[in-house]
Amino acid sequence: MNQSRKAYVLISLFALAIGVLPFVISSHYIIGVMCFIAIYGSLSLGMSVLLGHAGLFSLAHPSWFGLGAYITGILSIRGIPHPAAIIIAAVCVAILAYIMGAPLLRLRGYYLACATFSLLLIIVIIIGQLGSLTGGHDGLMGIPPFSVGSFVLRGDFHFYFLSWGLCLGILWFLNNLMDSRVGRAIKSFNDSEVASKSMGVNVPGYKLKMFVITAVMASLAGSILCFWIRFIMPDMFGFPLLVELITMIVIGGGKTLYGPLLGSFVVMWMQEIIHMYLGKILPVMTAEVDALFFGVLIVVILICMPGGLASWLEQLMRAGRRVRERLARG
Amino acid sequence: MTLLSQFIQYTISGITAGSIYAIIGICWSVVYLITKILNFTTGEFVMLGGMLTWGFHSAGLGIFPASLIAVATTICLAIVIERTAIRTVRYPSEMVYMMLTIALASIMKGVILLKWGSETRKIDPILGNEVIHIFGAAITPQVFCVLSFLVIVTAGLTWFLNYTLFGKALRASAINPTGAKLVGIDINKFRPFCFGLAGGLGAVTGIITTPITFTGYEIGLLTGLKGLVAAIVGGWGIIGTAIAALALGLLEGFCAGFISAGLKDVFALLVMTIFLILSTFRIPSGFKRRTS
Repeated sequence: MNQSRKAYVLISLFALAIGVLPFVISSHYIIGVMCFIAIYGSLSLGMSVLLGHAGLFSLAHPSWFGLGAYITGILSIRGIPHPAAIIIAAVCVAILAYIMGAPLLRLRGYYLACATFSLLLIIVIIIGQLGSLTGGHDGLMGIPPFSVGSFVLRGDFHFYFLSWGLCLGILWFLNNLMDSRVGRAIKSFNDSEVASKSMGVNVPGYKLKMFVITAVMASLAGSILCFWIRFIMPDMFGFPLLVELITMIVIGGGKTLYGPLLGSFVVMWMQEIIHMYLGKILPVMTAEVDALFFGVLIVVILICMPGGLASWLEQLMRAGRRVRERLARG
Repeated sequence: MTLLSQFIQYTISGITAGSIYAIIGICWSVVYLITKILNFTTGEFVMLGGMLTWGFHSAGLGIFPASLIAVATTICLAIVIERTAIRTVRYPSEMVYMMLTIALASIMKGVILLKWGSETRKIDPILGNEVIHIFGAAITPQVFCVLSFLVIVTAGLTWFLNYTLFGKALRASAINPTGAKLVGIDINKFRPFCFGLAGGLGAVTGIITTPITFTGYEIGLLTGLKGLVAAIVGGWGIIGTAIAALALGLLEGFCAGFISAGLKDVFALLVMTIFLILSTFRIPSGFKRRTS
C-alpha cells in the first residue's frame, strides 16, 4: 500500500471513529470537550503547517481566529443570515491577511515573528478599544444561536458534527495539499529558499497563498466558536491562546499533520483536569494560569522530546516493526 | 492647562517612558548580540524586579535590602534559565528558542499571578513624594532617578565594552564568534554573563519605575516588547537603542496626550512593524546594519 492511500485509509477510519463516538458516549461533558478539541485542532493544524512545513514563523494566527469570530458575531447580531455571516467573515479575513501578509512575509526568522507578534497584540488592543462595535473588554454578548432557514443548531450534539466536520475537512485538505506539487514546493523552500527559487518555485507567491489559506481556516474555526459559546471577548484571542497553540504544536510535533490534532487532544484534556482538580486549591483560575502549566510543558518537551508525541509514536512503530521482523525470522 | 504646560508634561512623560524602554532595549540587545537569542523573558525580568521588591518589602524587609534581594534573585534566575533551559536544547533553531523563551515568560507571569494576585502594586519612591512644578507641568523626583540610571547604564556599558579586556572580548565574540574562538576567547562563559546582566538591569529598571508606573503581573509583555522595538529600530547598539527609545517614548507620550491614551501601545507596535517592513527594502539598510 502506498503512502497516500495509507493516509486516506487512516483519515477515513479516524472520521468513522469520530462519527460513532457521540452515539456510544452520551456524556454531554465529553462531547463538549471534543467540540473544543475540534475547533482548536483546526486552528493548530493551520498554524503547524505555517510553522513546521512552510517555515513561516507567523504568530498572528490567533488574531485571524479572533477576527473571524468577531466579524461573524457582529454581523449575526445585526441580523445577517448566519451562513452568509460566516462567509463574509472568511472573505474579510482573507482580504486582511492578503493585505498584511504581502509586506510582512518579506521578513523572515525572528523579524517575521516580531512583526506578527506585534500584529497579534495590535488587533487585540484595537478590538478592546472599539467599544461601540465590539463591546470592548467586556466582550460581545447576545450572539443568536446558529440557524439555517428554520433549522436551528443547538446543543453539543449538533456542534460536535459541525466542528469535527470542519476539522476533518481541513485535515483532508491539508493532507492532499501537502501531497501535491504545491505541497512539495512549500516543503522545499522550508529546506532551502535559494535552491527552490533556482528550481523555479515562486516562493513569495506560495508563502502568501499559504498565509491566506490558513488564515481563512482560522476564521472558519472562529465563526464556529462564536456560535457555539455565544460570547467572545478580546482576551480570548491574545497571548494565552498563542501559548496554548504553541503547546499543541510542540506536544504533537509540528512536522506531521496528525501531531497538532494529538496535541490539541492532550492540551484540552489537560486543561479540563487542571480546572477540575486544581481549581479548588489555586486562588485564581484564568487563562494565564493555564499558560503557566503549558509553559512548563513546552520547556520540558522541547528539552527532553524535541519531536513531540508524533516522533515518539513513530519510534514506537519502528520498534514494533523490528520486533515483528525478528519474530518472522525466528 | 495651557498648551505649553501640556506640551512640557507630555515631553517629560515621554522621556521617562523612553528611558525605561532604552534600558530594556539594551537588555534585549546584550543577549541577542552574543547568543543570537531573542529572549522574551526580558520584560518579565522587569516585572520580577518590581514585584519581588514589593513582596519582600511587604514581608517586613526595608526597601533597600528588599531591592537588593530582588535584583540578586532575578540575576540568579536569569543565569539558571540560561544553564538549564536554553543550553540543554538539543536541536537549537530560532523557532525553538523563541517558543522556549515565550514559554518561560508565561511561566514567570503565572507564578507571580498565583503568588501575589492580579492587583497592581506600588512601592514608595526613593526621592520622596514632593512634586516639582515647571511651567504648570508636574514632575515627580523619581523621574530624575530613572534618567540618571539610564545615563549611568549607557556610559558604564560603553566604557565597559570599549576600554576593558572583558568587554572587548565580548564585542569581538558578538561581531565574529569563530574569529573570537580562534584568538582564544571562551565564548560560552559570556552566555550566562549576558543573561545575568540582562536580568540585573531589567530588575533594577523594574524597581526604579514602580513608583511612577506601578507594577503588576502582566506589565512584562508590553513593556518588554517596546524595549524590543527600540533595540530593533536602534540597530542593536547601545547609543542607537537609547536614541530610538527616547524617540519612541516621545512619540508615545504625544500620541497618548493628543490622540488617544488607549491606543498608545498600538503606535509603538506599529512603529516596529512598519520599520521592519521598510528595512526589507534596500533604502535604510545602511542605517540599520550599524552596531556600536
